[in-house]
Amino acid sequence: MSALLRTSLFDEHVRLSGKMVPFAGWEMPVQYTSVKDESIAVRNHVGVFDVSHMGEFFLEGKDAEAFADYLVTNDIMGAPTGKAIYSPLCREDGTVVDDLIVYKLSPGKVLICVNASNIQKDFEWMKSKHQGFQCTFTNKSDDYSLLALQGPKSYPILKSLLKELPEIEYYSVFETQLGSEAVIVARTGYTGEDGFEIFGSHNAIKSLWASFMTAGVVPCGLASRDVLRLEVCYPLYGHELNDEVNPYDAGLGWTVKGSKTKFIGKDALSTKPAKFKLVKLTLDKGIPREGYPVVNAAQEVIGVVTSGTMSVTTGKGIAFARIELSKVPKDENYQIDIRHKYYPATQVKQPFVTGGHK
Amino acid sequence: MSTNIPANLKYTKEHEWALVEGDTITVGITDFAQSALGDIVFLEVPDVGSELKLGSTFGVVESIKSVSDLYAPATGEVVAKNTDLEGSPEKINSDAYGSWLIKVKVKDKTELTNLLTAEQYQEFCNTSH
Repeated sequence: MSALLRTSLFDEHVRLSGKMVPFAGWEMPVQYTSVKDESIAVRNHVGVFDVSHMGEFFLEGKDAEAFADYLVTNDIMGAPTGKAIYSPLCREDGTVVDDLIVYKLSPGKVLICVNASNIQKDFEWMKSKHQGFQCTFTNKSDDYSLLALQGPKSYPILKSLLKELPEIEYYSVFETQLGSEAVIVARTGYTGEDGFEIFGSHNAIKSLWASFMTAGVVPCGLASRDVLRLEVCYPLYGHELNDEVNPYDAGLGWTVKGSKTKFIGKDALSTKPAKFKLVKLTLDKGIPREGYPVVNAAQEVIGVVTSGTMSVTTGKGIAFARIELSKVPKDENYQIDIRHKYYPATQVKQPFVTGGHK
Repeated sequence: MSTNIPANLKYTKEHEWALVEGDTITVGITDFAQSALGDIVFLEVPDVGSELKLGSTFGVVESIKSVSDLYAPATGEVVAKNTDLEGSPEKINSDAYGSWLIKVKVKDKTELTNLLTAEQYQEFCNTSH
């Protein structure tokens, strides 16, 4: 086992009594004070997450957008400069290598932000597809730190610290200065609330973090981040997504743009080859956890919970469950096997919580 | 690190406490355990009359993000269950030693000699984490 990596803010996490745990090869804060308080801070006020473990790849040159467009299933070429686009990254057979966000920074300059656990796998995969595109492709993950400022009070806090903060729309990005340092500011996040993700040098991000602490922003750990993303039904790689499933198996058909002339996986995905249906389940009693079996009215196993928790916002158990397509019950009668007892679960079509993002 | 370990109680390596009174023990989880778990949101303990076996799981305590089994500190019969915690298990977070879970009538009192003293439990917490 190699030693765990530490972000540039490690000392800050320890100073703030963050409970440090191994995550994707990194030593990360899972919580500081309480998962509940941190989740509530993001829903009602503002919190900040150190997500510097995530990966940053840069594409620069005249084919930067075309290369990104070829790599992912969603439409990159068709989006204007300044947009952020969420997308799966698929193989030729349609299985998902990772899910990521493509940031169109300026003509000929694209940033791709990927999951920490997949940095090496993604980089090697993309590198193997790079030939023929007139652009550089660089892994700058080691050079960047990343903060996610999330919550309804994010805008005024960030505006007070930056030279400029235009009222950009959700899922937009721009480059600016923080003091003398160049930073990339995107109105994105993983909580469903309004907020910003700020990419910068380790020094720039350390000073930004310090400013957030002075301004009373609540430091939040990975546990609250996971609760918040599940409440608004955002998938997580390694849970809803993995190397064996395709976007349709995870309810991400909307990100597959068959109208694009070519992209990796287009042929395989053209038939919408779902083997599973990802459903949202909520329970009045009992807390669903990853791996718990899901059964139908006859108590036959039809699927499995991929993510589950107690929702801080609704006070109920919530889960994503992967159901075998041929076994999806028409009567929508779902039950979850929790320690050999069956708890009724209600399927919902909308996310458990509606975030306040713009 | 929590150092709230009352001297009048006995402890297990599973971070439970037991108040021994005659042949009956009152059982809860330690302050160290509640702190490690975080916000407790769900508790499942057996009904009065249930039989427990030393070292076997007898229930669970769940925080928002985790599930932890409870292990019987002794063999015996459940004679009381703390109904105050039903619907508000978070009371354990604010007062771990005031929030008992169950009372057990112990079958064989010699089993209790294996429980840790406060001093031994403190030592265990210091060395195992």
